[in-house]
Amino acid sequence: MKRAFLALTALLAATPAFAQDNFPPAPPIAEPKPFKLPATETYSLPNGMLVTLVPYGVAPKVVVSLRVRAGEIVAGDKTWLANLNAEMMKEGAAGRTSADLATAAAGMGGDLDVSAGMQTTSVSTNVLSEYAPAAVALIGDVALHPDLPAGEFVRVKANLDRRLTQALAQPGTLADVALGRTVYGPNHPYGRLLPSQAQFAGYTISDVKAFHDSQFGAKRAHLYIAGRFDAAAVKGAVEKTFGGWAAGPAPVGLASPHLAGPKVVLIDRPDAPQATLRLSFDASLAGSDADIPQRVTNSLLGGAFSSRITTNIREDKGYTYSPYSDVDLSPGDALWTFNADITTDKTGPALAEVFKEIRRMQSEIVGSEESKGIRTYMAGLFAISNSTSSSVVGTLATRDLLGLPANWTDTYVPAVLAVTPEQMMASAKTDYPIGKLTLVVVGDLKTVVPQLKALPELASVPFQTMTVP
Amino acid sequence: MKRWSLALALTASVLPSAALAQAVKPATSKLHVETQYFTLANGLRVVLAKDSIAPTVTVAVYYGIGFRVEPRERTGFAHLFEHLMFQGSKHAPKGVFDTTITNSGGVNNGSTRFDFTNYFEVVPSSALDRMLWLEADRMANPVIDDAVLKNQQGVVGNEIKVNVLNQPYSTWPWIDLPMLANSNWYNSHNFYGELAEVEAATVPDAKSFSEAFYRPSNAVLVVAGDLDYAATRATIEKYFAPIAKKPAVVQPDISEPRQTAERFKSRVDALAPKPGYAAGYHVPARGTPEWYAMGLIDQMLVQGDDSRLYRKIVQETGIAGEIGGGINADLGNMFNYRGPMLWSFSFTHDPTHPTADITKAVDSVIEDLRSKPVSQAELDRARTKLRSSLYGEIDGGGRVGLVDLLASYALFDNDAGAINRIEEGFAKVTPALIQKTAQEYLRSTNRSIYVIEPGAAPGAANPQGGQ
Repeated sequence: MKRAFLALTALLAATPAFAQDNFPPAPPIAEPKPFKLPATETYSLPNGMLVTLVPYGVAPKVVVSLRVRAGEIVAGDKTWLANLNAEMMKEGAAGRTSADLATAAAGMGGDLDVSAGMQTTSVSTNVLSEYAPAAVALIGDVALHPDLPAGEFVRVKANLDRRLTQALAQPGTLADVALGRTVYGPNHPYGRLLPSQAQFAGYTISDVKAFHDSQFGAKRAHLYIAGRFDAAAVKGAVEKTFGGWAAGPAPVGLASPHLAGPKVVLIDRPDAPQATLRLSFDASLAGSDADIPQRVTNSLLGGAFSSRITTNIREDKGYTYSPYSDVDLSPGDALWTFNADITTDKTGPALAEVFKEIRRMQSEIVGSEESKGIRTYMAGLFAISNSTSSSVVGTLATRDLLGLPANWTDTYVPAVLAVTPEQMMASAKTDYPIGKLTLVVVGDLKTVVPQLKALPELASVPFQTMTVP
Repeated sequence: MKRWSLALALTASVLPSAALAQAVKPATSKLHVETQYFTLANGLRVVLAKDSIAPTVTVAVYYGIGFRVEPRERTGFAHLFEHLMFQGSKHAPKGVFDTTITNSGGVNNGSTRFDFTNYFEVVPSSALDRMLWLEADRMANPVIDDAVLKNQQGVVGNEIKVNVLNQPYSTWPWIDLPMLANSNWYNSHNFYGELAEVEAATVPDAKSFSEAFYRPSNAVLVVAGDLDYAATRATIEKYFAPIAKKPAVVQPDISEPRQTAERFKSRVDALAPKPGYAAGYHVPARGTPEWYAMGLIDQMLVQGDDSRLYRKIVQETGIAGEIGGGINADLGNMFNYRGPMLWSFSFTHDPTHPTADITKAVDSVIEDLRSKPVSQAELDRARTKLRSSLYGEIDGGGRVGLVDLLASYALFDNDAGAINRIEEGFAKVTPALIQKTAQEYLRSTNRSIYVIEPGAAPGAANPQGGQ
């Protein structure tokens, strides 16, 4: 049924002109015109800071974004200390109060955004073009000379504590925390996405100051400027603002071995109308030979809206709204995850279909229409998703963080287009070993667990319950 | 209300290069979008906007039917019908539409808002003609049967579960606040839909809805990007002109009476771990001088960390950690609606701050704006923020923001070129007009407050079950 449907789809996409009435036949679709990212200029300051300029777009705006390799992974076991530091950095810098900073950014048409992730702390703004040099100076003040005022600390900490509480009320957060803890173990930064409330309560302003002093420096920093701007004026502002920044420590690499599956981890959410799922397998590192084939394979399996899993469990069965899968790539680590929120009493049937689609990818060669289609989709998506200044900054910063070569943005599309159906089948066999799965389910366990137990794939897998946080 | 929450991070900018030759000085640059605007004999309005940003085009069809005007006893129907429009048409059976877009290298989505339902695709420009063909076929010949209805009732049911029923705060404030503040059913019903009513919808319901609202005279087609004006127009004529002409849709009375007493409501949210505070005020009619003033008031009160409510509620009193809001904040922006609308803001906070204390802090900010003229510097900063955010909107993903503005002005005002006069409207606002507008529209008697009482233990997730 399903196969027949897909075959029909492919046929129609190729030759849709079968109208038997006055409606005109479908016009052909030609090959897409090529798309190239704009030329960029990258240079380094004597202290080691990297600078990338990207003249782009036509709207009179510019993105200024500093990425510093000072994320949660260098906070030791003090989870969210990088986050707390980022929030505190907005509270005043170089003698300017938080109100001064906010007013200055607003006067340029931007906001001051400081945020910390697992790998980096970013300090960014998106302003009207004429303010590009002033925006560079503002970002520099905040990154290099934050006041970290003790008087604001209790309030800022209370805000984050509230955010922590809100996060724990979301089924998706519970699932992510449980998945990280299961795959990386509780003593690895990726295994502790959130602190406990008691732990967070113990952080002091001295911890924050020590973190900023020890973890920020030019050798860990990359400044991206994209949009319309006067390059000479911007370069001058960069030199003046960042030239005197101490080199500081080099970026830290982190080994991230995965704890072996198979495992099923359960978190109870009594009477929840949906089960929130995370299904994970080890993936291949960014830039490895297997990287591009795994991305193409993932797109067809569950990454695209027209993917096989979405077509099956959403468009055919109506079990869920927005299922998707992706490969999460970090420096030295890669993990494939399928995510979905499934109507509670369909959890077992939905998972059975997911396993079925995985096996189909592993046992049947993908047809040429479907395989060409998904490659064309990824090539097109690259153009579509890189056509704003801020999205290009995101692409370049990810490339650089993952240690991919500078020409990766030029080689990505040709590499995608060259992936063969045979490579996709090989990738599916390697990438989705069902016998080694890690499955996290947040939901109404009294209803969900019997459905899981009935699945042959999970028959001999140990089930465990987990408490989050 | 989006059909599929794909994270679009796309393209576009619009300002044709001629208009921006002097763009290094944005203070003197002005938004100018070159468009061609025409109406087919069957009433379909068409906007074309050419640019050379990327070899892609954005195609959008906006129908003048939103969730405001949906059948009674069928709440959520406008949104359910949006889903059905992706389920196949006579010459492109189920699956063909989405697969064609994927396989040509594009993305697509749809959404249901107060006063329109939109469908859009961002594709390589080589696929433009096929997109127009597909959109014409589903405008003329949607195929809706029991199978696709049942399937999408399941999908929409899951959408409501993931966004409302299994979410802390659920309908707060985005559905709760309009329901409290408005008295006309069209503005005050649950437009995401009661699950039971979504599940009760029938194929005849869908056919009569399609018949009533999905007609050329109630729609706008926008094509923006890498296009040739003459060729695109000819293709549009070829596919859309044969669709039968039907009279314009007559809108029901969606007006709201002037609010004269403050409204208040609270509810316990079983999943919410912290209290929440939201307030909404009816805004001046869209397009009036006071409405432009309200747009700048929004900038001064809640947009950005320099805004007055942010300074008071976040920095000075520490009541909240962030504050969100705007005109049509949760389901659009100040441009893409017609009819009664709220300016609103909301935040969550700790229970140590009682509602009365919060209202007192809010009032101190609001009354200051109502009683004293704003400084020229603050007004200028508000205009700068607004201009920057307008450019950002237009320069944002996949030309979706640009297309949305063009479609809104075409659909609601029959004037796509109005996009080039937006800045002019804001430029005319004076401190005196700000104060006059604040006096009338920021009255506490024009306000509705909706608070959430937490029903969940903080961090509740009980380990049990399994084995």
